[in-house]
Amino acid sequence: MAEAKTSTSRNAIVAMQRISKSFGANRVLSNVSFEVMAGETHALLGENGAGKSTLMKILMGAYRTDEGRILFAGEDVTALSLRERIDRGIAMIFQELSVLPNRSVAENLFILREPLAFGLRVDARKMVRDAQALIERYAFSLDASARVGDLAFAQRQMVEILKAISRGAKLLVMDEPTSSLTIHEEETLFRTIGQLKQNGIGIVYISHRMADVLRLSDRISIIKDGRLVGPLDPDSTSIEQIAAMMSRPKGEASLPTVAAPAKRPPAMPVGTPALEVRDLATSRKLSAVSFSIDPGEIVGLAGLVGSGRSTLGKALFGILPDVSGHITVAGEPVRPGSVNGAIAAGIALVPEDRRLEGLVGGRSIEENLSLPRLSDFSLAGPFGPMAKARITALFRQYRDDLNILCRGPLQKAQELSGGNQQKIVFAKWLAMKPKLLVLDEPTSGVDVNAKRDMRELVRRTAGEGVAVLLISSELEELLDLSDRILVMAQGLITRSIGSAHDEAGLRALLQAEAARQSSARAQGVAA
Amino acid sequence: MKPSSMPMRSAAMDFFRDHITYVIFLAITLYFVLFAPHFASVSTASAVLRITAIVSVMAIGMTFVIICGEIDLSVGSVASFSGMIGALLLDQSVPTYVAALLVLGTGAAIGAVSGLLVTKLRIPSFLVTLGMLSIFSGLALTITGTRPVSIVDDDFSNLFWNGSFLAVQAPIWWTMVLTAAGYYLLHQMPYGRRVYATGGNAVAARFSGVRTDGVKIFAFVLCGMTASLAGLMLAARSTAGNPSLGAGLELDVIAAVIIGGTSLFGGYGSIVGSVVGAIFIGILGFGLLVLGLSTSIQEVIKGAIIIIAVSLNRR
Repeated sequence: MAEAKTSTSRNAIVAMQRISKSFGANRVLSNVSFEVMAGETHALLGENGAGKSTLMKILMGAYRTDEGRILFAGEDVTALSLRERIDRGIAMIFQELSVLPNRSVAENLFILREPLAFGLRVDARKMVRDAQALIERYAFSLDASARVGDLAFAQRQMVEILKAISRGAKLLVMDEPTSSLTIHEEETLFRTIGQLKQNGIGIVYISHRMADVLRLSDRISIIKDGRLVGPLDPDSTSIEQIAAMMSRPKGEASLPTVAAPAKRPPAMPVGTPALEVRDLATSRKLSAVSFSIDPGEIVGLAGLVGSGRSTLGKALFGILPDVSGHITVAGEPVRPGSVNGAIAAGIALVPEDRRLEGLVGGRSIEENLSLPRLSDFSLAGPFGPMAKARITALFRQYRDDLNILCRGPLQKAQELSGGNQQKIVFAKWLAMKPKLLVLDEPTSGVDVNAKRDMRELVRRTAGEGVAVLLISSELEELLDLSDRILVMAQGLITRSIGSAHDEAGLRALLQAEAARQSSARAQGVAA
Repeated sequence: MKPSSMPMRSAAMDFFRDHITYVIFLAITLYFVLFAPHFASVSTASAVLRITAIVSVMAIGMTFVIICGEIDLSVGSVASFSGMIGALLLDQSVPTYVAALLVLGTGAAIGAVSGLLVTKLRIPSFLVTLGMLSIFSGLALTITGTRPVSIVDDDFSNLFWNGSFLAVQAPIWWTMVLTAAGYYLLHQMPYGRRVYATGGNAVAARFSGVRTDGVKIFAFVLCGMTASLAGLMLAARSTAGNPSLGAGLELDVIAAVIIGGTSLFGGYGSIVGSVVGAIFIGILGFGLLVLGLSTSIQEVIKGAIIIIAVSLNRR
């Protein structure tokens, strides 16, 4: 592996030198040097929370670096603001595109600097002409007068990219640009990137998909625990090698494995599985998924971003409108597409986005806890008052049980820390005694101690006979908790494996499955 | 976000900030007591309560809709329309109580239609109820060709306005009964919790199994019913169904709810606050009248005070 050169190469567009950043006592980046040449695609890989986005925010100027400096086209831009850096030519293409869907391509390209005729009137014809010239210069397939809302996602992305480079961007940061694209559209994007490189534009390409990264990039750098590894030459490395580098070496795991029964005795097959799924599909993302989970079993669900893991969780919970297939909980069929049906059958979902989907932030802890089963707390039938004492008792039980730190039952949920908020979401579902608990990224955005508490809680819940479906991007967590792991790629469960793998092995497997499914699809589309 | 960073000393400040409208309310009332002739008297109090009864009753229904994160602009014209229907039914010798129930049912049905349009067709409630406002003010005028219909039924007049029970007048009774019922529904029953959850975070509510569409539709039904009750009270007060009785009331009603601390974005609010808001508007109008200000300048001052009260009550 080639080490990063310490001296700045002559034609680097951007050179970030010895960047360090801490938030409080937490050191997020230490001594990271990263550079991009003109006409180069430099891929940046790393786990969630490794420090990728912090590095990019420092590059854009949203954060200040504690140490080190940033050179852009030879000029020191360390002290410049975000606005000034954009003016100098650093641009970010966001995942959620910032184009105006109701306006034409030309209007989007020239917004805030429309060509004027006689000083005041917008010269619409000149605008379209200029836009078309720009499109042709970069050989994009776009029509300048088309309405952006009518375009496919990849073409909107082109508009966004063109908008940036027409304002003089020399460096583009692309964060997961393929996450919303179809196979065909991915090819379009890759061609676009080729055009940009020919025009001497440098690209930082952030992605979870190693197969794409190996194909596209000229160099690859990996951020792991705030340190930069690389750059590597894509021709002399492999998915397995990169996977090994991204994984934490054994014995240095961020969490001390809890002294508790790290490996519970394997769940006993007791005849009826807690959950049985046959041919579960949604119109867009999920295609004919079948699997089952035994009572007390923890099944991990692994896959790359966009593989359909969260969709599967939501489909089980009935919150997606277009679900087909058969779901059986403890032998009883559940009607797909009905949240109340799923809850009545004993399915609970701790959703991925705690703030949006998990909690009513402005209401009290107590109200959030009782929300899924309000009718059960009604005294004297449907017209009776709420049994407030019983809700408060429920609060006390789970506060003590899950060690929730809060001022009291009436504190607003949004005032709690991430970990404690997550415990509230957990508690609200544990309170209804579920048969199946679906956990979607249950430890994302919580601190280390809360993570440990969460894992302990998952084990304990399973120990009480609840079937658990654990969706997680943290492979170490999946390996630590799961009895077995299902691998998802492109909306399919492609493999089921035991938890005997190590982290690097599992990561390489996920990448290989994604690449295999993706090429299989592409062939299917082409045929 | 960190609970430890919330100092206890801010509790008093919090209380003051959360109840700032009550503070302003008391200050203004005090001003009138000191400077308006004969303001501090039982007769003034009962006059103000009677004047504000109609807005109070409507504000109670409106509170549910606004906490859900929606709005109902049609309440004024629904009140006019209900008054007309009530007068016409009585004119046809329909028994008093039957007529009243039919009118309340009409209000409920109108609310249900608004609610269905808002939730099932996903049309913003502002537009749906703006359309309903126009439709029902037009219908109220059309039924009789803009002519008022006089009411000769004394039972009706006594029940909704002129009567009194235990020395308390009917409109004040209606305010108290509706306040108690609304308080029970919003603050004591499971439905109220669902209303707050729907307005606070509709996505999380759906992820918790709350049928947010149903919750909203029922809120519109409640609002329609209180509007038609107000229509009956208006008709009883003037002993006639008059097609323009309720015109413009929606603005006072919405102002009362917002002054009472309910967030126009949904998720926060209380019944008692809305009633206090309605009384606040009533006292303001009455006090300015007693001070001898013209109705036109009254409107200006009223508007300014409403804006000040709401801006101090921001969350």
